[in-house]
Amino acid sequence: MQGTAFTNTSLTAESLPSLVELEFQPISAIYRQSNLIINVAFTLFLVTLLFVIQQQNIWPLSNDVADLFNWLMLVLFMLGGFNTLYAAFADKQKFYALRQQDLSYRSGLLFRKTVSQPMLRIQHVELKRGPIDRKVGLAKLQVFSAGGAMHTFEIPGLPLASAESIRQFILDHKDVNRHG
Amino acid sequence: MDKSVAALTPVVENSKDWQRISPIALLFFTERLIKFFVSNLVAFLPALYFGYDGLKENPQLGLAIIVGILLFICLTTFLNYYFFQYRLTQDHIEIRSGVFSKKHINLPFSKIQNVKLEQPIYYRPFNYTCLQLDTAGSAKQEAQIVALKVDFAEQLKKEILAQYSITHHAESPDDSAELTPEAVENEIILNTRSIADLVIHGITNNRIWIFLGGLAPFFDKIASYIVSTFSDFGINIEQLLTFSDKPMWQITLYAVTLTFLILLPFIFFSIAGSVVTFYHYTLSKVGDRYIRRSGLLTKYEVSMRLSRLQMVIRQQDWLDLLLKRINLKFEQANNVLTQHQAGAQNNRIIVPSIFAHQCAALVDDVYPNNQMMTIAYQRISKRFLLRNLVFILLPLYSLVTVFLTVTGKTQLLWGITPLAIFAALLIFMRWYRWGYASDDNYIYIRRGFFGVDYLCFEHYKVQQVKFKQSWFQQRHQLCSISVVLAAGAINLPFIKADKGSAMLDEILYQVESSGKSWM
Repeated sequence: MQGTAFTNTSLTAESLPSLVELEFQPISAIYRQSNLIINVAFTLFLVTLLFVIQQQNIWPLSNDVADLFNWLMLVLFMLGGFNTLYAAFADKQKFYALRQQDLSYRSGLLFRKTVSQPMLRIQHVELKRGPIDRKVGLAKLQVFSAGGAMHTFEIPGLPLASAESIRQFILDHKDVNRHG
Repeated sequence: MDKSVAALTPVVENSKDWQRISPIALLFFTERLIKFFVSNLVAFLPALYFGYDGLKENPQLGLAIIVGILLFICLTTFLNYYFFQYRLTQDHIEIRSGVFSKKHINLPFSKIQNVKLEQPIYYRPFNYTCLQLDTAGSAKQEAQIVALKVDFAEQLKKEILAQYSITHHAESPDDSAELTPEAVENEIILNTRSIADLVIHGITNNRIWIFLGGLAPFFDKIASYIVSTFSDFGINIEQLLTFSDKPMWQITLYAVTLTFLILLPFIFFSIAGSVVTFYHYTLSKVGDRYIRRSGLLTKYEVSMRLSRLQMVIRQQDWLDLLLKRINLKFEQANNVLTQHQAGAQNNRIIVPSIFAHQCAALVDDVYPNNQMMTIAYQRISKRFLLRNLVFILLPLYSLVTVFLTVTGKTQLLWGITPLAIFAALLIFMRWYRWGYASDDNYIYIRRGFFGVDYLCFEHYKVQQVKFKQSWFQQRHQLCSISVVLAAGAINLPFIKADKGSAMLDEILYQVESSGKSWM
C-alpha cells in the first residue's frame, strides 16, 4: 500500500536516489544579516558594559581589577570578533533540501555535515520564532524523531512562508502514510 | 480477529467505578518517599549541619523533629495511597494520583507498548505486584498501578498485550501469523543463567569501574586512612613503598598484591550487584514477545515485542574475551532521559555472560539469516590512525615533554611516556576493531578497544542519518557517517566517501520505500 506513495521506481543500487545529487537551497539571506548584526551588537554591548564598570566612580575598582578589565575587554573583543567572522562565513554554508520522502540540511565551514530526516520517521514538527525572528519574518523549523532530543533536526532562518509550507508538506505526508 | 478479542476480554471485567488499590501499597509509597529523601540527602545536609549545635543543646528538640518526620512520612504515604485510584473502561485504563499536583492518566490499551511487572520483596509474601505501563512517548507518560494481586495483574497484562497485537494486526497484514491466542499460552524458555554465570558476569562486567569513578574524590582520604590504620598495627607503608632499596621482583609483587587487595572488595560488590539483579534469570518467548525475568530482592519482568527491537549488541570486554563469554543486549527505544536513571539497567533485555553458541542461537532467533559473525567486515581508513596519532597525540605529547624539560621536571616524563604509549595503543586498537558491513537486511558494525562489540540492526529502523566530511577528509575522499536509531546514535568515522553515501542512500531508500514502522 505504500508503493503508490513512493514514486521512485528505479531499483538497482546504481540508480537509487542519492544524497550526492541533492538540490540544495540556501536559507534566507536575512538570517545571515540579522545574525551579523546581533553578533556585533552583543559583542559591543558586553565590551561597553565592562568599560562602563571600569570607568564609573560610584564603586571605584582597585587598580589590579581595573587592569584585569582591560584584558577581559580585549579577550571578549577578540572572541566576539572571531565568532562574528566565523558566523558570517558559516551562515553562507547553510542549505536545505526537500525531497518527496525526506528533508536534508547541510551546514559547516570546515566540518561539513549533512543531516537527512526521512518523513516517515518524524514524530512531530515545530516552528520556533524568537523575538528577532518575528521582527524579520523568519522561522526555525524543528523536526523531532524517535532518535531523541540530541538529534533534533532543525533548519534555521527560513522565510515564514516556506517554513509553514514545509511544515504542511510534512503533516500531509504523515497523513498519507499513516502507519502504526 | 474479533473472536480472539471475545475470548480474551471476559478475563478482566470492566469496572465503571474508580477503585483503590490494596493497602499494601502503603509500603510501596513509604519506600518511594524514603528513596526520595536519600537521593536528595545533599539538599538536607546544610540544614543538618547548622541544626547540629542547636540539637546538642536541647535533645528533646531532636526527638520532636524525628517524630515530626515520621508523622510526615505516615501522612504523605497515606495521602498518596488515598488519592491513588484506577479504573478500567472499554480498552482504556485510567489512573488518578497525586496529593497536591493531581495527575490523571488515560491510556488506551492500543498505545501501551510494554507491560512490566515489578515485585518488590515486601510484596512477595502477600502475592502482590506493581504493574508498569510503557507508552511509545516520553518517559513522563509512564504509568504504574502500584499494588495489584499477581493473578489479576497477569490477566490484565495478557489482555492489554492481546489488544495491542490485534489492533496492530489490522494495520500490518504481514505480521498476522504471529500471535494467536494459543501462542499466548506457550511460553518457551530460551535461556537461564546459573549463579556461576552471574558470578562471572559480576567479575567481567565493568560496572565496578563506574563505582570506582564515583569514589575518586575520596581517594586521598581513603589512602591516608589506610596508611594510618596500618601504622597502628606497626606496619609502615611508606617504608615498604620506598622502592630504591628493594629488588624489582619485590616491587612487582607489592604492586600486584596491592592492586588485588584494592580490587577485591569492588569485585565482591560487582558480583553481589550481578546476583541481585540477575538472580533466577530466565529469558523466554511467547509468540513474538521476549520476556526477561530476574531479581533477588525485587523481581523484575521486562518484555519486548520483536517489532520493538531496534538493535542487537553482542558485547565482549577484554576479560569476557579471555573467558569466552558474551553479554547480549536487545536494545529498545530508549530516550536519553530514561537511560541515565538509576534503574535503567533493569529496563532492558540483556542476557549476561553466555557462550558463543548460545549467543548465536539467540541472535538468529531475533534476526533470521543474519551474518553477524560470518560476514567480512571492512576496516575504516588508516587515516584514522594518522589523525589521532600524528595530529593529536604526538603534538600533545611533544608539548608536554617540552614543557616538562623547560621547567626541569624531567622525572615526570617517566609517568607521561607510558601514558602516551597506552593512549597510542588504545587508538590503534580502536582502529583495528572498527569495521562495518551490510547485506540486504542488516547493517553490521564492529567496534571496541581491547574488547569487541558487534552491533546489528535492520535498515528500516533508522530514524535519521548524518554525513560528515571535514576539509581534510574531503581531500582524501573520506567521510564519517552517523546513523541515528531510536536506541541511540552509531558513528562510523573515516570510511570511503562513496561507500558512506551509498550506505546512507540504501538506508533512506529502505526506510522510505518499505513503509515498515520502526516499532
